[in-house]
Amino acid sequence: MTWFERKRTREMALVACFLLPSLLIFFLYRILPLGWNVWLSFHAWSPLKPAKWIGLENYEEMVLDDDVFWDALSNTLIFIGCAPLAIAAALAISLLVNSDLKGAAIYRTIVFLSYPLMTVAVGIIWRWLYDERGGFINYVLRSAGIVDQPVKFLQSFDLALPSVILADFWQILGFYMIILLTGLQSIPQHLYEAARVDGVPAHARFLRITLPLLRPSIFLCIVVGILNSFTSFDLIYVMTNGGPGHATELLITYIYKAGFGQTRFDYAAALTVVQFLLLIVLTVFANRLSGGNAGSLER
Amino acid sequence: MRPPSAWPRHVIMIVVSILMLIPFYWVLKTSLTGENIYAYPPRLIPADPHLFNYVDVWYLIPFPRYLLNSVIVSAMAIAGSLLFNVAAGYALTKDFPARRWIVLLLLSCMLIPFQATIIPAYLITSWLGVLDSWLGIALPLLSTIICIFIFKASFEAVPRSLIDAARVDGLSEWRIVVRILLPLSKSAIATNVILTFIWSWNAFLWPLIVTRTPEMQTLPLGLARFLSVMEDTTGALYAFVVLVLIPGLAIFLMAQKEFIRGLTSGATKG
Repeated sequence: MTWFERKRTREMALVACFLLPSLLIFFLYRILPLGWNVWLSFHAWSPLKPAKWIGLENYEEMVLDDDVFWDALSNTLIFIGCAPLAIAAALAISLLVNSDLKGAAIYRTIVFLSYPLMTVAVGIIWRWLYDERGGFINYVLRSAGIVDQPVKFLQSFDLALPSVILADFWQILGFYMIILLTGLQSIPQHLYEAARVDGVPAHARFLRITLPLLRPSIFLCIVVGILNSFTSFDLIYVMTNGGPGHATELLITYIYKAGFGQTRFDYAAALTVVQFLLLIVLTVFANRLSGGNAGSLER
Repeated sequence: MRPPSAWPRHVIMIVVSILMLIPFYWVLKTSLTGENIYAYPPRLIPADPHLFNYVDVWYLIPFPRYLLNSVIVSAMAIAGSLLFNVAAGYALTKDFPARRWIVLLLLSCMLIPFQATIIPAYLITSWLGVLDSWLGIALPLLSTIICIFIFKASFEAVPRSLIDAARVDGLSEWRIVVRILLPLSKSAIATNVILTFIWSWNAFLWPLIVTRTPEMQTLPLGLARFLSVMEDTTGALYAFVVLVLIPGLAIFLMAQKEFIRGLTSGATKG
């Protein structure tokens, strides 16, 4: 072995040692669980029983006999479907604070302030805002004479889901704004100047320059919005725990209940597979909508 | 581009800011008041502000225990992720045969949301024998892909000549990382520390699954438990909320730039 080869082997050993701990963690907590979920979903299994192959039975039960699954699925889709509203609001705000506005940094900080908060605490804060007697929202509605009786936002079948979604908007708005601001700042200024020289009106500049060049950032916001329906577990758990009935049940809360409430790990795994497929399908769909090359964004 | 006046924009942004700040004010107000918080109409300004509720938090619930658990879990996650992410980030700056595949593997791992892994992740943690322990709660956060790439980019920005010179001087690889690269990567370190802190401090679903005994519960679990036990009849709950939010807010306000940089680089790469 020459000196160079020995040095090369030593370097390879070093690379392996340095990478191993991280790869081990990702194997144990990302890759293995993904495969295990799929395996579990085709078996009847609980911690005390040996696994038995049952084919698609878990999926059949879900689709044919499980109303809660359909509730959870439609609520999840509504949750995701509302994300564009928050993204549009965030876009308006980022256009306002992007330019030469004095104090823009302060506005940005205030809008972003709710994002790093503990979601459980956000849930408790909003529960309190919606409260019938001590809550700010009912107080304003009643003082302004819009309602006579206090509104039970979180106990109402119709209002519970929108109420939770509003709380979620409050937390995530700042994150959308930051993503869109990063996108806005990467648009070359000379495009606007050229358009102005040519006499292009403001709304056309927005539609022809800003919006098309912002597509990758908007795609990112949509992906964040889709993932947000997974991470909103914390919010739902403290605000409504899926209730009233299953009016605010999301797939993620149902997975938790099936897995750790009823110890049906096999069924929960099948639900997870459906949720993961939903995530992939929606992401691909959003990517198509945004022009198909948004994944190549790499600064 | 320049509208005739900035005032309309200021007015809109001031209204937006007030709307965004109301929830903060409302919870702070409630935590400071001694009156019956369920009386209608609620007061906009606390009549007789005091800190009794904050004292109550220490006596009504095992707050110090929750705090200890949260601090230890966050400290473990921060220390572990710094060590492993720096090592992995450095390894990826080297040239080796499977490099492209490993980068691809890491990028695709980033697409798997942690929430989609909870059932098997629980079984794996149980098999490892670390359920209901600090290590069990911190384990999935011990290495984070976003931060590996942030370190890789930061290390690659260091001039090769500097590293070669250190190697000629006989420094070992690990020493090159600690003595040369890390001092030049302060911003990457800050991003890693802040993101890992926020993630571990705020984590709820995973600790909820992994912990069994009240002694191992972290602050978010304590908060949810307090809510269900007390059925929000007391202002102490809101004092608890304020106490729990302070560290995250303080860190965010102190290191806004690093925090936002970490989030956006994570978002754009994910």
